[in-house]
Amino acid sequence: MATTTEHVSLSSENPKSLPWYLIDLPKYLKGFGILTVIYVGLRLYQGAFAIEHGLDSTEPAFEQYWMRLFYIELAIIAAVAGGFWGYLWTTRDRNLEQLAPKEEIRRYFTLTMWISIYTFAVYWAGSYFAEQDNSWHQVAIRDTPFTANHIIEFYFNFPLYVILGGCAWLYARTRLPLYAKGISLPLTLAVFGPFMILVSVGFNEWGHTFWFREEFFAAPIHWGFVIGVWFALGVGGILLQGVTRLIELLDRIPDAE
Amino acid sequence: MSAQIPISTFNPYRGEKARLVRAYDYLILVLALFLFIGSFHLHFALTVGDWDFWVDWKDRQWWPLVTPLIGITFPAAVQAVLWDKFRLPLGATLCVAALLLGTWVTRVFAYHYWNYFPINMVLPATMVPGALVLDTLLMLTNSLTITSIFGGAAFALLFYPTNWPIFGMFHQAVEYHNSQLTVADLFGFQYIRTGMPEYLRIIERGTLRTYGQYATPLAAFCSALLCSLMYPLWWYIGKWFADTRYLKSI
Repeated sequence: MATTTEHVSLSSENPKSLPWYLIDLPKYLKGFGILTVIYVGLRLYQGAFAIEHGLDSTEPAFEQYWMRLFYIELAIIAAVAGGFWGYLWTTRDRNLEQLAPKEEIRRYFTLTMWISIYTFAVYWAGSYFAEQDNSWHQVAIRDTPFTANHIIEFYFNFPLYVILGGCAWLYARTRLPLYAKGISLPLTLAVFGPFMILVSVGFNEWGHTFWFREEFFAAPIHWGFVIGVWFALGVGGILLQGVTRLIELLDRIPDAE
Repeated sequence: MSAQIPISTFNPYRGEKARLVRAYDYLILVLALFLFIGSFHLHFALTVGDWDFWVDWKDRQWWPLVTPLIGITFPAAVQAVLWDKFRLPLGATLCVAALLLGTWVTRVFAYHYWNYFPINMVLPATMVPGALVLDTLLMLTNSLTITSIFGGAAFALLFYPTNWPIFGMFHQAVEYHNSQLTVADLFGFQYIRTGMPEYLRIIERGTLRTYGQYATPLAAFCSALLCSLMYPLWWYIGKWFADTRYLKSI
């Protein structure tokens, strides 16, 4: 999804049937596909091994089936963060003043795709696996912060959406003139606010040192997550910024059939 | 520096530009769908939580109060952008439909298929009728004040009657070990939740319980009052988050 000014001519000449503003659509759809496979795969893994080996953290099988998964996740998260953020930064456009309106429009589409992939990861972390936490902790006694659902929700899903949000922020900052000149307040809110949900894991787990059970899901020890997710409403501001700029740019390109 | 939409340029696009704008609309639709499922669901699950998860928590005193009060938050915030800036009268319905989709997926795959809770024990409540009224009222009146007072109240007052066809059957009285219970209570006893001791169930407490059949309308009207206040609060929270400024530093 990262194209610099130097690649513009190449992108415009892509002979496939996709219009120039949707050049990155295949990568976007592949992103959805890869994430879906990962999340569904993790859920199937839980279905296969959570009840059998995930109820007692002191058993050797727990170390084998769950803690090993946890270490693998950490390695993947570190690699993905380093890879994506490093790539977006090192391939940044150093010639933004010369950016043609068409190319800028295309990049707004790509930014929207990045944010969309980010919100897809937010869905799995904030909706499915978050509520599944309640379901799991109603049937399993919580004897570790690394339960069969936490290992996936807190230590993979949360960092992954933070990384993808960071990608959207970096993409805008390094490839779009308005975002490079100033720091977009709504985009920053929409990325950094949900990042604080990851930080709230500390508060949550500290609370659970007093109450090992999921006695009451709406309890105040969970409200740190709630405040973090309100910041996702910053997407409204990003939309307004994007639409405003697109209207200006569309006026600068000729009409075509 | 902040973005200002240039009204004078709002002419209908034709040809390639029209297709481009339509493609952008579709991208935003996909983005918004997952955004609101993910964010509204997390907000809802951690504040309404147990009242929506479990059939035996769907009582007459707290459920009709807590659910609309928390449920009107994101709809108000999203309406503040979609109606005010785009004249789209669907902010509330979009949020509530996204929430319902997210909760259904989770109840089926996380509760029923993973941990074997009967699906009837974990049915989500619906706020779709209230959201439709909220959107319609805002569209017809274009007034924050009227929508707050009458829309907020309707959102709360419609909640219990529109959910009654789904959950009424679980309120049937049964006699069990010489005690009078409801079918919903029996679910709670039969399917053990290790994390939830019975003493933590916040149901039917205090004087209001002796009001008998009046408990529900009283809770609903209390919720209507609070929703009328919550609506404008979250409208302005939505506006605040939809800021379009670019900052020099953070």
